[in-house]
Amino acid sequence: MIRFKDVTKRYPGMARPAVDGLTLEVNEGETCVFVGPSGCGKTTTLKMVNRIFEATSGDIFVNGENILSQDQDTLRQGIGYVIQKTGLFPHYTVFENVATVPRLLGWDDQRINSRVYELLRLVGLDPAENAPKYPRELSGGQSQRVGVARALAADPPVMLMDEPFGAVDPITRTQLQNEFLTLQQKVRKTICFVTHDIDEAIKMGNRIAIINNGRLVQYDTPEKLLLAPADDFVAEFIGSDRSLKVLSLLPVPKVLKRQFRVVKETAELESVRASFDASERNRMVIEDEHSNVVGYVTRNDAEKADSARGWNRFIKPFPATLPPEATLRDALAVMLQHDVGAIPVMEHTHKFLGMVYLDDIRSYVGEAYQESDPEPAGEGAPS
Amino acid sequence: MRSLRYFVNNTDRILGYIGEHAVLILMAVVMAVLVWVSVGILIRNNRRMARGVLGIASLIMSVPSVALYGILVTVPGLGLSRQSAVLALVLYAMLPIIRNVYVALNGVDAAIMENARGMGMPPRRILFRVQLPLATPVILAGVRVSVVMMVGIATLAVFIGERNLGVLIQQGLVRTRPDMIIVGAVLVSAFAIGIDYLFSKLERLLVSPGIRGEAA
Repeated sequence: MIRFKDVTKRYPGMARPAVDGLTLEVNEGETCVFVGPSGCGKTTTLKMVNRIFEATSGDIFVNGENILSQDQDTLRQGIGYVIQKTGLFPHYTVFENVATVPRLLGWDDQRINSRVYELLRLVGLDPAENAPKYPRELSGGQSQRVGVARALAADPPVMLMDEPFGAVDPITRTQLQNEFLTLQQKVRKTICFVTHDIDEAIKMGNRIAIINNGRLVQYDTPEKLLLAPADDFVAEFIGSDRSLKVLSLLPVPKVLKRQFRVVKETAELESVRASFDASERNRMVIEDEHSNVVGYVTRNDAEKADSARGWNRFIKPFPATLPPEATLRDALAVMLQHDVGAIPVMEHTHKFLGMVYLDDIRSYVGEAYQESDPEPAGEGAPS
Repeated sequence: MRSLRYFVNNTDRILGYIGEHAVLILMAVVMAVLVWVSVGILIRNNRRMARGVLGIASLIMSVPSVALYGILVTVPGLGLSRQSAVLALVLYAMLPIIRNVYVALNGVDAAIMENARGMGMPPRRILFRVQLPLATPVILAGVRVSVVMMVGIATLAVFIGERNLGVLIQQGLVRTRPDMIIVGAVLVSAFAIGIDYLFSKLERLLVSPGIRGEAA
């Protein structure tokens, strides 16, 4: 847990404070992303936590303890630190770099050994191959991974990351971001993360702190930030495509229509027609005897069919399906690709959960913007 | 031919000169490194002090070596002694060593220094485990330059009583014996080249493979 209480930082000779009365709290196990234009004070804010910069006034608490009440080096040994240029020691091997803080803490060799190997595996580097290398033998992505491993070495509860993926190419960056998200699922650190890239902030953050001219403008979840920007600055900073960005944050279940009649493939035509009569829908999902979805039948086809020749030949397969963890953005993409207005959502590729409709996505996002309270109305409105 | 004959006929004496030369240089190098590297470390974070110290060092460097020997001889307690010779060489090493130490320590990548601090390394440990190892190639280069220079300047110490390779050159000049001058000059050059070679070996020993071949 990290807490800023009315923190201000003034640099001598500067007209306005670099950080101005900042108050916010980062919950345990969450990633808080500081984002804003260059010179907004986000890096200064981050570096006050491990006292690279000292706050002019106000208090900062890490794990409930005022950072000024602890020895500076002890404090820092308990905080993982990753910066853009990695700052790996070029004269140390990868092993020695990762072992830096454990050695400061006086761990014995065996413990250091197993910890370093464990960490290198955790960040996706083969320990035997990479431990003896020097930083200059590593690619940008590998260096960054070692940087993360080094920061995690002593298993600190808190991590500070200053544009950690800023100096690598876009493909590597995406890869590192995804890896880090997976890693964070496992390690659950309390993280302060600085970036100037709003897309990275939306992707990495549980909460985002938008900072401008040293002041906290909005502190919210990515979803709320996109749906309800606090002011024009935030709206502009997020970008005019925020309605598209929000789609990638909303999971399909939010608009899923679950109440569907599912008819067995083996059913009589009469019961199929009866189901249509009882429903307003124009399509019916068909499954086989193992409850695996095989496709759908339209109302028109069901009326045309005659039982003698079997109605089963009217069953059409779905062009595509979505897993329940897909986002509305994925759903929209698949719809556009296959030129359809509805996509079934299936768990483990065969268990039918419901349908996603294009119209529902549109109205869901549209409504969300119109509401003053950005909290969307309940899940998957029943049909 | 005559030079070679001179060398062959006077091997024992010449070997003695080489030994004397080596002892003088060795004493001066050890002292210069100890003193000037320490001074360089002390002034690393103080720009004003650094400017002053480096100014004095430049001034000393600009004093002609014969004059410097002459001045030191007049200092009570030094006189016509080995101390004077060693001190002169140490003074000449001041500029190249201090300057390189200062520049190298301050030239360590700011990101690396910030990370060292950010990870909670105590300042002394940062100096000895991070800054100095990273500065070693440049510091060694400074020491190397000063030692090669010392080899030449040491020859002039014959004027204050040293009996080293300078004797061959000085005597050769006085007695118009080109063979002696040539033997002296060649041996001094060889000596300098030998020391240069030693330093390249030393660099392999002292500099981490991770940064070898980047500076100096």
